[in-house]
Amino acid sequence: MTQMNQDIPENILRRLEEKGIKQSEIRLKTFADLDFLGNPAEIWVIATDNRFVVIPEKGFHDEIDLSLEKIKKFRIRASIGSAYLQAKIDEFYIDIVRFTNALRFRFSRFIVQLDLLRQGKPVSDEYVQESHPMTCPVCGLPLQTEKAACPRCARQGPILFRIIFLLEPYLHWVIIVLILMLISVGLSLVPPKLTQILVDEVLTSRRHVDWLIWIVTALISAELMRAFINMIVGTLTSSVGTLITYDLRKKLFRKLQELSIDYYDQQSVGTLMTRFSSDVEAFYGFVTQVGQGFLLNLFLIAGIGIMLFFINAKLAFYVLVPVPLVMMGTYFFWSRIYPMNFRLWDSQAKISRFLNIVFSGIRVVKAFAQEEKEIRRFDIMASDLRDSQRRVQTSVAKFNPMMAFLFSTGGLIVWYAGGKAVLQNQGFTLGQLMAFLSYTGMFYGPLSQMALMSNWVSSFITASHRIFEILDTEPQLKDVPGAIRMPNIKGHIKFEHVTFGYDRYQPVIKDVSFEIEPGQLVGIVGKSGSGKTTLVNLICRFYDVQEGAIYIDGKDIREISSYDLRKQIGLVLQEPFLFRASIAENILYGRPDATFRDVLNASKAANCHDFIMKLPMGYDLYLREHGAGISGGEKQRIGIARALLCDPPILILDEATSSVDTESEKKIQDALAILCKNRTTIAIAHRLSTLRGADKILVVDNGKIVESGTHQQLMEKKGLYYKLVIMQTKLTSIEAEVE
Amino acid sequence: MEEESKKLEIVFLDPKKIKIFRGTFETIHVMLEDGSLYRGVFAVAAFPVSNPNKYISLFCYDANDREYEIGMIEDIEQLPDEAKKLVMEALRRQYFSFEILAINSIKFAYGLLFFDVETDKGPREFSMKWETRFAFDFGKKGKILIDIFEDRYVIKDISKLNKIEQELFTRYIYW
Repeated sequence: MTQMNQDIPENILRRLEEKGIKQSEIRLKTFADLDFLGNPAEIWVIATDNRFVVIPEKGFHDEIDLSLEKIKKFRIRASIGSAYLQAKIDEFYIDIVRFTNALRFRFSRFIVQLDLLRQGKPVSDEYVQESHPMTCPVCGLPLQTEKAACPRCARQGPILFRIIFLLEPYLHWVIIVLILMLISVGLSLVPPKLTQILVDEVLTSRRHVDWLIWIVTALISAELMRAFINMIVGTLTSSVGTLITYDLRKKLFRKLQELSIDYYDQQSVGTLMTRFSSDVEAFYGFVTQVGQGFLLNLFLIAGIGIMLFFINAKLAFYVLVPVPLVMMGTYFFWSRIYPMNFRLWDSQAKISRFLNIVFSGIRVVKAFAQEEKEIRRFDIMASDLRDSQRRVQTSVAKFNPMMAFLFSTGGLIVWYAGGKAVLQNQGFTLGQLMAFLSYTGMFYGPLSQMALMSNWVSSFITASHRIFEILDTEPQLKDVPGAIRMPNIKGHIKFEHVTFGYDRYQPVIKDVSFEIEPGQLVGIVGKSGSGKTTLVNLICRFYDVQEGAIYIDGKDIREISSYDLRKQIGLVLQEPFLFRASIAENILYGRPDATFRDVLNASKAANCHDFIMKLPMGYDLYLREHGAGISGGEKQRIGIARALLCDPPILILDEATSSVDTESEKKIQDALAILCKNRTTIAIAHRLSTLRGADKILVVDNGKIVESGTHQQLMEKKGLYYKLVIMQTKLTSIEAEVE
Repeated sequence: MEEESKKLEIVFLDPKKIKIFRGTFETIHVMLEDGSLYRGVFAVAAFPVSNPNKYISLFCYDANDREYEIGMIEDIEQLPDEAKKLVMEALRRQYFSFEILAINSIKFAYGLLFFDVETDKGPREFSMKWETRFAFDFGKKGKILIDIFEDRYVIKDISKLNKIEQELFTRYIYW
């Protein structure tokens, strides 16, 4: 639907020839799929070394024929639901063509090549034609995330095989369980056969009255042995179930730790928590159900089926009459219940998500007196969960009696046909009928349970889908094979024509270049949303650049081992995240092998030792959620102590002092002065006064570095930095007056 | 100070005192009563669903390619016919979606929903992630679906789909 043929149609080629353009002169080509008013169209955009031509194949659009020289720049402007290729002619942009978002990726590559063409550099049409990262380059299947493994090409096999594969480490236990089950099934077949002998040989004919005691003893022994074996099977399957869920939780957590930040940008905490709790728990249910239910029932059905045909083949066929109906009913039920389980899961996840948000932000809720509103919102979600649950449960409730009725008809047929055979003395004894009916009851029981299994199997497969979805997700940012190990980074940082956007079509950082020498203190300033934090996110390689490169000590950041890189970057955020652990453990987080003496020294340097010592539990004070109970400034200083303890060669301070009062700020500033010594420090600061001593200040505006220099140089320049300083000075004097 | 506080106020444009006209390459230009000319203007609706023809903002780009608001037209109907036509056109150029008229099939596979639909622009097939954030309300009766390429598909009123389509749709998009 989106990857239309990229060969230029004949009539477009003819039109180009009329304009004096030969096919061999075409350097770049693509087409747009909308006209300006949003109607479907096919508008070809063609560039030669010096001309830029637009010709419509289908739809209404003016032809455009421009000299490339006349165009100053190309760009993509996103509108709502579509986008435009724009060219800057004279002093403003004009729309060249309009296209759907499905073509945005191709056009974003097209303009990169167009700019190279304008500069007389070599271009690549293959680069433009590359498949969209949201589709499999081999089979074209849409993917869940960019460049994810294609589930169709990966041939991972049906989900049940993948689940069984998880059992591999416990195969020996599984084999023991299977053997015990076979014995148990064999024992289950004994009582009806003994009943037949009891009726025919002891009770009705009275030929072997003395057998009574032995037959009853044999019956008791068979039942006892079966109970004992079932006990062992139950214990083993439960153990295997708990071991598998343990393995799975570990795998899942490891995978989530490996995934890049962009994955978390797309997921909510509540949804991930549900996957850890109920979805993983479904695996335990699966193993125990399979072990104690499914396989046992399967063996029983096979064993009893053989016995039924052995006793009376004609009657056995009657027993099978309801089976096709049961199968059809099960299939129908499966197809109905499957999406219902998704709904149920979604409702559960929504409630977890909601509770997570509300309880985390309970102060805001109370401060704005929104308790009633939140209760109403919860009620809506709880009602949704109730309805989803009800839908699943009522479907189950309707299904069960229907199945029971179908089975009872089979039993009644056997009573009629079997009873007739006994009455007419057709070589079928009463004992055989009793045994047959016993087996029939035993046959329908497991069959009925097997039919009902579609219920738990569907919820289990739903849960498995979601777990495998995480396990199959490839981290967007992976270390390249043979990534460069850099255990001793010096701290030289270089940005070279870096362009990046969280949405790849809307760059937040645009063609940024700068260099920081080891040991320098560099300030980054700019208005909110100008791209300051994005710059540091890129240094930490939380995201990869889309154009250009970042070098650390002369090596491309994408080639450096991410472990080495992050281990040597210290990050102090506006609000440091403190874990539910003691203060000491929080400080030790980045370097757990540090000594108590190191912790004390780091805390003293971070200016937090004195307040910690005044706490009744000192460094052993167990902090509550997000460090509740201590002030923002104190939390910040603990965060600084944590960074200081790691002694990173590169330190990033992201608005580290913006959320604290002036007195705390002074203490934090003193701590930071120590922290910045002998390391490359990048400080994003809202309060510009804190950056006066910086070796260099980068002024960011609209994703670009618009000024750079020392405080003095920038003040003399009287540019944006100067304006920001003056504005802030005025604000400070107003604040002082108010106080 | 007064100038600073003015920056925080919305500038409502007087429909009788502004000139909206077409420039070269189908661009739209706006001239205000003080004679200032804005070229390559585009329009954005403040309430595109609930009040699509009112509170229309006119935007432009500055020398640093940053978009900024020239001002807002309270009601398109107050504009002269030619200007009204141009603003309506500018709005059509700003918003794009496929309007779903009928649903042929919805299938769930590989963790995605695969739609086969009839739209106002002809038959379309698209796939979307089966997550609440990719299907959200359009007014009180409709839904907007966002496919994996971020194209938008709108069902303006779900109750206007036939019973089978409604059942099929709400089986998957039930929120």
